[in-house]
Amino acid sequence: MTRTLIIAGALIALSGAALAHHGWGSYDASKPITVAGPVVTSKYENPHATITVKGQDKVWTVTLAPTFRMENRGVTPQMVAAGKSVSAYGYASTVEKDEMRAERITVDGKTFELR
Amino acid sequence: MTDAAPAIFVALEASGLGAAIRQSSWAYMTANVGHIVSLLVFFSAVAVIDLRMTGFFAATAPGNILRGARKAVVVGFLGLLLTGSVLFTAEASHVIINKVFLLKLALIALGVVNVAVFEYFTAPQVKGLPPHAVLPSAARTAGIVSLMTWVAVAICGRSIAYF
Repeated sequence: MTRTLIIAGALIALSGAALAHHGWGSYDASKPITVAGPVVTSKYENPHATITVKGQDKVWTVTLAPTFRMENRGVTPQMVAAGKSVSAYGYASTVEKDEMRAERITVDGKTFELR
Repeated sequence: MTDAAPAIFVALEASGLGAAIRQSSWAYMTANVGHIVSLLVFFSAVAVIDLRMTGFFAATAPGNILRGARKAVVVGFLGLLLTGSVLFTAEASHVIINKVFLLKLALIALGVVNVAVFEYFTAPQVKGLPPHAVLPSAARTAGIVSLMTWVAVAICGRSIAYF
């Protein structure tokens, strides 16, 4: 029984380490960036809404939030539809090329927190 | 969508059902919450059986524990399968090539085999025993393997999103 408890404890510790290690691990939180420009494509879908935005340098894939949260915070599908002008503040992915995860977005003069 | 996955999973994600799950305002979230609730039902009932098999609660006859908890195990497992299928369908092409998900599937297979072996060989020996009877060592082993396997499955499940 003692052995079982030790193993269970080790597994829990391991899971804690895994959770603490990840989440934002694949995004470079030390260098926040802002991508602003017209929305090229828009997917208002789960698990996360994503849009592509034609920034100054290139087209960025911007990962937003789950759609239920987006609606709760007041960001409707129309507000992030293709052609709209948005500004996204967040962190660039260290894994996916030209992808960033938005902390908040500004659209129609209003800023919405997505975290 | 990723083309690195086998075509059937790409097709599943691209299907109308996949799109409906992703575009619904409630389906994905409901499945997500339902998966956790099902896991609680499943694991709590599994844990009662496993703890009894490892020697806890010896004052209750093992047969009573098995009869009472099995239903909840089955209900929880079916709930996990249903909600898990919804979550999987939404992102099939990504999830199927996720190493943690594949590890999770392997661990589920191990857990199910452990249940099958226990139910076929060990449960018949155990179910008629009176309270405080010494259980066969196979029962203890099955209980420990079960607890560890399902905890590991849960850890893998939660970790899919981070790998």
